Amino acid sequence: MGSRWLRGCLAAGLVLMGFSSQALADGFTLEGKPKVAFLYFDAKNDGGWTQSFEESRGAIEKAMDEKIPYVEKVPENAAQIRPAAEKLIARGYNVIIGTAFGYSDTFKELAGKYPKVVFLNAAGTTNGPNLQSFYGRTYQSQYLCGMVAGAMSKSGKLGFVAAHPFGVVNWTINAYEMGARLVNPNATLTVVYTGAWNDPVKERAATEALIDQGIDVIGQHVDTPMPQIVAQERGVYATGHHRDMREFAPKATLCSSVWVWSKFLVPELKTISAGNWTPEPFGAFPSIKEGGTDIACCGPAVPKPAVDKVMAERQALLDGKQIFAGPLSDRDGKERVPAGKVLADGDLWKMDWFVPGVITQR
Amino acid sequence: MAICEFIVNWAGGVPATALPYALAALGLIVSERAGVLNLTAEGLLLVGALAGIGASLAIADRPWVALPAAVLAAMAVGLLFAGLVVLLRVNQVIAGLAVVFFCQGLTSLLGTLAEWQNHPISGLGKLIVWPLSELPAGTHALFQQDGLVYALLPIFYGVHRVLFKSMTGLRLRAVGEAPEAADSAGLGVTRYRVLAVVAGSALIGLAGGYLAVGGTKMWFGGMTGGRGWIAVALVIFARWRPWRALFGALLFGCIESMVPRIAAAGISVPQYFILMTPYLVTIAVMVWAGRGKGGADLDEPGALGRPHVREERR
Repeated sequence: MGSRWLRGCLAAGLVLMGFSSQALADGFTLEGKPKVAFLYFDAKNDGGWTQSFEESRGAIEKAMDEKIPYVEKVPENAAQIRPAAEKLIARGYNVIIGTAFGYSDTFKELAGKYPKVVFLNAAGTTNGPNLQSFYGRTYQSQYLCGMVAGAMSKSGKLGFVAAHPFGVVNWTINAYEMGARLVNPNATLTVVYTGAWNDPVKERAATEALIDQGIDVIGQHVDTPMPQIVAQERGVYATGHHRDMREFAPKATLCSSVWVWSKFLVPELKTISAGNWTPEPFGAFPSIKEGGTDIACCGPAVPKPAVDKVMAERQALLDGKQIFAGPLSDRDGKERVPAGKVLADGDLWKMDWFVPGVITQR
Repeated sequence: MAICEFIVNWAGGVPATALPYALAALGLIVSERAGVLNLTAEGLLLVGALAGIGASLAIADRPWVALPAAVLAAMAVGLLFAGLVVLLRVNQVIAGLAVVFFCQGLTSLLGTLAEWQNHPISGLGKLIVWPLSELPAGTHALFQQDGLVYALLPIFYGVHRVLFKSMTGLRLRAVGEAPEAADSAGLGVTRYRVLAVVAGSALIGLAGGYLAVGGTKMWFGGMTGGRGWIAVALVIFARWRPWRALFGALLFGCIESMVPRIAAAGISVPQYFILMTPYLVTIAVMVWAGRGKGGADLDEPGALGRPHVREERR
């Protein structure tokens, strides 16, 4: 007993010591002031993903009290990313923020080559001592959008235009349907995958096909506002993604799942600037509370009680409510999350199952 | 009833899907019948699309402003291509690819500089013409089409007449089959080829303009998504014949219009198999079209891809 207590004490002491020495040795500290620069994947006014970063840039400039340059339209290949990043580094920029999944490998390589520079990459998959990927918990904001959709649908049939069937997209679909069922327990969600992030012609065809099936609220997770525009033409409702889509379809857009990058990046950059920064080993994954994603709610068509309900649920999420909490079964009845458990982040990223009410191709 | 509605809606979506393929393939046929191998469709579609949206935003949001603008812009680029391959005799494959890359960069740049991105236009509206509008309401989805859809048949008929029933067409095809012989007969090979390329480009530009003005009603960089390459394949499938190209485009339109509808109707089929079907069918039809009678080679214009140099022995 005594020796065990002693060992416990010793271990605690060691941990404490280790912690402090590790913090000094392993935490990343920039040499000098942080000088931040962005690499944009598309045009800064692309109306969606890239524009959301451009809109956060001003707020970050203000908070960090520095001018933040950007390079637009850096496509997802090493031969284009490398020179763009290296030119910025040569000019003294020591925090490079990328904005694409396809930058992952090149950023990993650059992070090794430039150990004194911090690399942050949105939607990336690689991490390291001076490299951190980040992405928002979009299932939270899409869950809230699903609630709005469920409240506004007369037929109870919702549609969703999605890009590719993988985790990031599938979790928004599941959360959307779970949000809708919170309001209308019989709501169904029919999903059309276009197989592309940016093919407005296919997105239009998909949206029209859904509306022809009697669907009266369209959700989306693609890179263009096409689903909203078609919804407005056809006189039905839609919910947006990336940015507030009222800009393109003021009548049809009920609400949008939006990126609020400055809310995440400003504190993160301050932490980096303070020194001893330890990047998340599997990337940062901020929720509505920490910034990254949120709901832009709501258009004039949504009645006050529905808005209040959504906002109350948003508050619950801020207070720590989990969406993918057990008991949760998929549409085939297989249990995916046992009671009392919450779906782990790793399982989110590889989500390939759907909750009851979601209708997709296999 | 549900199945009837499904079929009517699906069939109603086919012409709009098929039209860009049909017009682009027709444009390529005109050019290739004169012996100029033309791979520029993907680029010209983008040029037409951007010009259509640009004219709508900058001049007036009317289809009769947008579509001619698309045609003229594509003709200008077509003239550049013709200058490269007919006058300077650059390799036609390389020049074609270069024009595509040039157009991809140029349209993306201009779209950004002029801030034409992300501004919706009202574009081409649907209309239902008289005798068809008297049919039962359930069939309206089938006949409610963009104005340009109704013009498609006359355009095809016109091009077919010019190519195969007129002296101009005979000469144009002669230039494409045997430029030396045509030259000895006193035909201006250069003139015919330049005109054929420019006229073909006009049709491809119209297709691009339609994609933007009738389809997306908004400019997105790279929005054609490879449709120009499908038009290039359609030309080979059609063996350089207009009506066959129209048939091929309709076939392709049927499948492409079906793909999202299957998902929207809640029919569970493997996702990637469905997305693959248009290409699978293209290959299957090409194999079918190519079998027997020496295959497609027989129909290929004799001097396709070969620059004409007077006095040069081959």
